[in-house]
Amino acid sequence: MIKRVQTDETHSLRGAIDRPALLTIRRIIEREVPLASPELDDYLNPTVLEVTLDDGLCGAETARLDVQWTIHADYKFHYTDSEEVNFRWGKHPHDGDYIHVPGLEHYHPPPNASSTPDEVEESCIKQSPEALVTRAVLKLWRVAYHADAYAPLNAASNPP
Amino acid sequence: MNDQLHTDEFKDINEAVGEEWESETTPYERIRRVIAHRYMPVSADAVAEDARTSPKTARKHLNTLAEEGFVVTAAGEHGGIVYRRSPESLVVEQAADILEHVSTDELVTRIGEMRDQLNSYQQEYGVDSPEELTIEQTNQTLAEPDSDQSVIDAETIREWQTTRRNLAFANAALSIANAERFVDGDLSSTDENVPA
Repeated sequence: MIKRVQTDETHSLRGAIDRPALLTIRRIIEREVPLASPELDDYLNPTVLEVTLDDGLCGAETARLDVQWTIHADYKFHYTDSEEVNFRWGKHPHDGDYIHVPGLEHYHPPPNASSTPDEVEESCIKQSPEALVTRAVLKLWRVAYHADAYAPLNAASNPP
Repeated sequence: MNDQLHTDEFKDINEAVGEEWESETTPYERIRRVIAHRYMPVSADAVAEDARTSPKTARKHLNTLAEEGFVVTAAGEHGGIVYRRSPESLVVEQAADILEHVSTDELVTRIGEMRDQLNSYQQEYGVDSPEELTIEQTNQTLAEPDSDQSVIDAETIREWQTTRRNLAFANAALSIANAERFVDGDLSSTDENVPA
């Protein structure tokens, strides 16, 4: 019981959701992915930016990317689709529980965005400004989409 | 768009998106973008690294942004200057965005709802702020480590903090809308229906 409490606390995004940052991320996505339709769940008091994707990965017909960003620049970019595949890039403290993750940036792999400590991977995204993290997520997603595979989602390089 | 830079082949994802960003923006734009959502003080060197420019260039543009009121400065630990986004400029920016997209009537309704939400947090948990709730929760955990009492999760605390912050933006928007009404009203002296 007590362990669970500590896990909850130490595995969360730090601070309030940052509406100004979500608006910026929305603008970037609108420009980079004209077919996506990013919307705040609540325009005045948003908790998440929901990005409906035109198509999913590996045969999924529909997909959505849920983006959260806090005033301390912690974030979650969570993918979910009609085949019930989930994965997530994240940045927040994890109290050293993710044994393969030296820093804060990590990746919860598909098919279920596993949070099992030894399955969470170090993220290939190391940039911190939202402009660059968002671009990296969109690029990794695009590569995976064209490759029809999940592997490129957390691969630092995509050689010719 | 530059096809060369927007190729999906890359040696390093971080470098690839950094180069794209650099090719589409000026150093001033990147510095403004990097500091826009930095609410804790940072050095010009740190901003320079994120904005892919030199510390000298970062310092120059950050000082310009400080003169414009976009950032505020303070003395850092080692005699250098540290920078962060000006809260005043952030509030004005968010208020302007809200007024552009939300009607005053809806704003009044939503402000009431957010206030109710904050009041219900205070009543439910018996504390005035999410910070007090965090402290109380820590003390309780230390005092009764085996307690089965339901624990308020981090998400509730974050929702409380988020609603409080967004209510502040909404209140600022409504104040500006009201102020504008009266400032404009001064030009037409025959208005008899001045609300309280």
